[in-house]
Amino acid sequence: MERILRKFPKPSKGTLMFFGGLAVAFVVWHFASLHIDQAIRLPNFVTTMQAFFTNWTNSWVMENLGITLWRVLRGVGYASLIGLPLGMFMGYSKTIRQAISPLMNSIRQIPIMAWVPMAILWFGLGEGPTLFIIFMSAVFPLMINTLSGVMNIDPNYISAAKSMGASTLKIFVTIILPGAFPSFLTGLRMAVGLGWMSVICAEFIATSSGFGFLLIQAQIQFRTADLWSLMIMAAVTGYFIDRILLLVERSLTSWRFKDAAEN
Amino acid sequence: MPLKINNVRKVFPNKKEVDHVVIKGFSAEIEEGEFVSLIGPSGCGKTTMLSMVGGFQQTTDGLIALDDVEIDGPSVERGYVFQNYALFPWMNVGRNITYSLRMQGMPKEQRDVRLKELLEMAYLTGHEKKFPIQLSGGMQQRVAVLRALASHPRILLLDEPLGAVDFQMREILQNELASLVQKAGTTVMMVTHDVSEAVFLSDRVLVMQSNGGELLADVKIDLPRPRDRSSDQFKTYNNDLTDLLRKAFNYSKE
Repeated sequence: MERILRKFPKPSKGTLMFFGGLAVAFVVWHFASLHIDQAIRLPNFVTTMQAFFTNWTNSWVMENLGITLWRVLRGVGYASLIGLPLGMFMGYSKTIRQAISPLMNSIRQIPIMAWVPMAILWFGLGEGPTLFIIFMSAVFPLMINTLSGVMNIDPNYISAAKSMGASTLKIFVTIILPGAFPSFLTGLRMAVGLGWMSVICAEFIATSSGFGFLLIQAQIQFRTADLWSLMIMAAVTGYFIDRILLLVERSLTSWRFKDAAEN
Repeated sequence: MPLKINNVRKVFPNKKEVDHVVIKGFSAEIEEGEFVSLIGPSGCGKTTMLSMVGGFQQTTDGLIALDDVEIDGPSVERGYVFQNYALFPWMNVGRNITYSLRMQGMPKEQRDVRLKELLEMAYLTGHEKKFPIQLSGGMQQRVAVLRALASHPRILLLDEPLGAVDFQMREILQNELASLVQKAGTTVMMVTHDVSEAVFLSDRVLVMQSNGGELLADVKIDLPRPRDRSSDQFKTYNNDLTDLLRKAFNYSKE
């Protein structure tokens, strides 16, 4: 027995604690649901887990998840088209920064859901308002991170480039863009996370498709176990998107890490 | 005569109080192939002076000329090594070193030849694919010097090139710098606050006064190379210059 066990790598303390915490939460949930015994309020743990695992193979669920992810992708895409150049200009020129900063900082104080009624008036029901909500939640982290990325470039890099005969355009392409890129990617990761969180709320109200719409359907039809399983799916999906983006970020800016592959 | 600094004044305007005069009047000449160090108490304006020679800052009055042409902005003629080296972290060693060549539009074949030559000069062959973060401090310094040398500048400007290096490493890196500069045969102007570093590397040491940065002394270091730090003559130069530096500091208090 001991010999068999030895073949497995010893899990780290962090991993053990993670699964331990999860197990405790599940046990508490299981017994609480048995005790309360009202499936509409607190679904049974086992039923919820069954729903959770079957949902991943349910074409209707997956189709709506796909619709939502595609919206996030497009919304963040539009936000990048606006946020990246604006952030660049703001980082580059104090005048532009002074002109845009106060406005930007005021607008971004508006809670994202407060835009929903306005978005429906502008775009009607359907794709428009959901895309707009993703755009609004994604554009500010993109702008701010790009802006700080540009501003934090060591001024000596620019002086060095000048002393080596680089034109303004070349300085922009070879120094400013790559210098601000890691910060932009961080902004992008935040933008996707915020977009993913806000789109689901927008879908409650503004459309009849997407992951948020599934949640509302489950609620209306009192399928609480389904509702819970969808919520867990949302968490898992969000987590993996973030992990993937983190990997992309690291591999695209490997020069920041000592263990980078030589390139 | 490559570099001529004639009665340069530098004033930073101050709206609320009196304008801040960094350099009252500074004159110096650097001959072809000479290694000249600029030392002085902190705040004497030595880095400002070097930065004006680099073309990053403008003089308020006076003239700086390289080969009788007035300096007006940065140029590849003046290779600059920054205190923190300012290597571009997203470019590997090879791309850092060939940056000025690429900016000049030199074809790749020629760039590769020059890169090979430079890497060999600094014993960095085989490291060209590494990123700056993967290099030791000494290697980063050599890359920074090579990058500044790549386009055959008329003069190399070094701003406290060993300022961030700890004491044990300093002497080793000074040796490396000395041999690298000697091989390249370039004229050098270096700013430092370390007297023995100046004596070890320079043909001439200029001492600036603490307040206003006027030239207090111009000391020729007449020692054979490579220099022996433990020799009596070296120590005499070291002591004399340390005294001068103290004098430069006291001058400001009077």
